Amino acid sequence: MSGIEYDTPYHVRESLVAAQRLAWRRIAEPGAWLDGERRVAVAGEVRAAGDCALCRERKQALSPFAVAGEHAASGPLGAAEVELIHRLTSDPGRLRRSWAEGILAAGVSEEVYVEIVGIVCMVMIVDTFRRALGLPQFDLPAPVAGTQSGYRAPGARRHDAWISLVQPDDVVESDGDLYGAAASPVVKALSLVPEAKRAYWDLAEEHYLPGSEMTDFATGARAIDRMQMELVAGRVSALHQCVY
Amino acid sequence: MLRASTEVSGADFDLGAVTGAATGDGGIAGGVLLHGFAEAVTLRDAARTAELRDALVDRLGEAAMIDAAATAAAFHGFVRVVDATGAPVAGAAGGQVTAEFRQALGIDAFYGARNP
Repeated sequence: MSGIEYDTPYHVRESLVAAQRLAWRRIAEPGAWLDGERRVAVAGEVRAAGDCALCRERKQALSPFAVAGEHAASGPLGAAEVELIHRLTSDPGRLRRSWAEGILAAGVSEEVYVEIVGIVCMVMIVDTFRRALGLPQFDLPAPVAGTQSGYRAPGARRHDAWISLVQPDDVVESDGDLYGAAASPVVKALSLVPEAKRAYWDLAEEHYLPGSEMTDFATGARAIDRMQMELVAGRVSALHQCVY
Repeated sequence: MLRASTEVSGADFDLGAVTGAATGDGGIAGGVLLHGFAEAVTLRDAARTAELRDALVDRLGEAAMIDAAATAAAFHGFVRVVDATGAPVAGAAGGQVTAEFRQALGIDAFYGARNP
């Protein structure tokens, strides 16, 4: 299926469709650190992880770190980048700090790490929404030529997460719009690369809630109430063994 | 977030609805269907997803089903953002995640809680 169009018996609100279109366009365009070709390749590896024998074997193992091998991958990405994408896609609840440090030690910069994480999560959102509606995946977009910005937030530092991030007091003008009223750990997680953070959150908020509504527990922003939303969210998180 | 929303609504909510231990709706309208839908989508069970999708449309309406699907999709992203970056749990949900809450949800038994 080419392009983001919904031919379905269900009415998908236009704001969701628009957010998915924007996400696909952003994945195709040069990012801060990866060009369009590599960004689309990241998206391709998210899907390839579903057919990867190593990922399957690790997922079934008592410890994923006990199973060695090579991922089923093709394309321009390096082995450490593919490991990041496949593990994050297939078994995110069993990642560890030492694993992330290994990815960085293998030559993936923090900036590229963050940008890849953002793309993986965007593809997961769109593909999961399609699956929930019983619809086939969209074709991935064609890469757009251009030059990366090379922007790293200058105020980013290592704090208590595995990756450098920007605390609200360290935001500078060149970072652009980085935080609203709330800056919880999940909101700050991708702030090292502001473009990646914004691209991810623009998509995520349209599927969940706008930032301004997140602390409004009586919000009527969606067709299900907040308790219903949090039940869905909690069950998905629990099945992923997400400790957050 | 779930605990805070139940406090605001005044609902008598059973946390077992999240862990899968509850029977019934857990104090939430359509709770069984929403729980099952979230689970089927996450476990990639296409047949069960389709069955629950139809049931949700019948019980809560089409727009509700769409927003349940969108919420499930969003959390396939959120969990990966925090898992990949090691976002500290201490500040989650405005710092309201207590030891008792973690225990009730079984979080302390998760792999990530035992292998930081």
